[in-house]
Amino acid sequence: MTQNASLMSGVPELLVLRLLSTREMYGYELARAVRESTRQAISLGEGVLYPALHAMESRGFVKARRRTVSGRTRVYYAITPRGNRRLGELSGEWRRIAGGVRALLEGT
Amino acid sequence: MTTQRFEGLSQRLLRAGIAPRHVKRMVGEIEAHFADLVAELRSAGLSQAESESQAAVRLGTEDVLIANILAHPELRSWARQRPWLTFVLLPLFALAVQFVLSMLAAVAVVAFSTEVLGITALYPGPVPWIVRGLQAYGVWIAPIAAAAAACFLAVRSGAPLTWPIVGCALVALLGAATNASFEWSPAVPRGVLSGGIGLHLPDLGLTSGLRAALTILTVLVPVLWLRRKRRELTSIP
Repeated sequence: MTQNASLMSGVPELLVLRLLSTREMYGYELARAVRESTRQAISLGEGVLYPALHAMESRGFVKARRRTVSGRTRVYYAITPRGNRRLGELSGEWRRIAGGVRALLEGT
Repeated sequence: MTTQRFEGLSQRLLRAGIAPRHVKRMVGEIEAHFADLVAELRSAGLSQAESESQAAVRLGTEDVLIANILAHPELRSWARQRPWLTFVLLPLFALAVQFVLSMLAAVAVVAFSTEVLGITALYPGPVPWIVRGLQAYGVWIAPIAAAAAACFLAVRSGAPLTWPIVGCALVALLGAATNASFEWSPAVPRGVLSGGIGLHLPDLGLTSGLRAALTILTVLVPVLWLRRKRRELTSIP
């Protein structure tokens, strides 16, 4: 299914922050979690996650650390307090938009 | 370590101005992700070739990845975000600092020689040579060092050479307009040290013009050669 790019803008950030608010994860884990938690309704190019993660790290929303698990070194990401505040803002914004669209659809 | 599959991505990101620390880590993460996807698809029963092909589709093409990375300006290197500062103002500042430090070093050498070692202007030993060396450094070498550092940084990071060339020209002109001289005359028992620094701007004579041209050529010829070499080495067929 194709997805409208302008509708999708900001979605990776929201999804990543929401998922990282539960526990720290590495990129591949996050991509799987996005697929599973959105019941495959949202499919991001999985490579898109990394620039989003690095940009969020630059803005202080997540922090990265290397961890070796089962002999493989991976970069794990965890949400920061600033990221939690950002998640609150983004969630509020999306709920407001979704509420508006729902009201419109139910009204027609 | 980056494999052949992602080497092209790495080089293209560096050339596009993404900070090397982001490129190194991000390409490593994408590579690990690719390996995880291939393992997942293999365990679902696909062949190695099919798994690699599907994994590449799920990650996104190199062009899509690059477009997404470039959409985040905060991932660009500091030099790319502020090229005028990195390649023009910093070299000018570096030149001024080097010049001042070399002059202070010359004064310190003479002061130490006379005050501590008891050397006099009549029997100065190697002191005049050291002072002349420092003077030559401040006037001749410092502009080349400041301009060359900026230009080589630009080549290393794959940045366009417009700002570094502007910086090089300004550093060369400022360096050529600067003069320093030291005179240690044996007028009194310990001698008299007289020194002067000068800046003749905007009237650059022929000598100063030649000095500026020499600095520019000394820096830009190897820089342009190195840039060409790097492009040949990193060009992806």
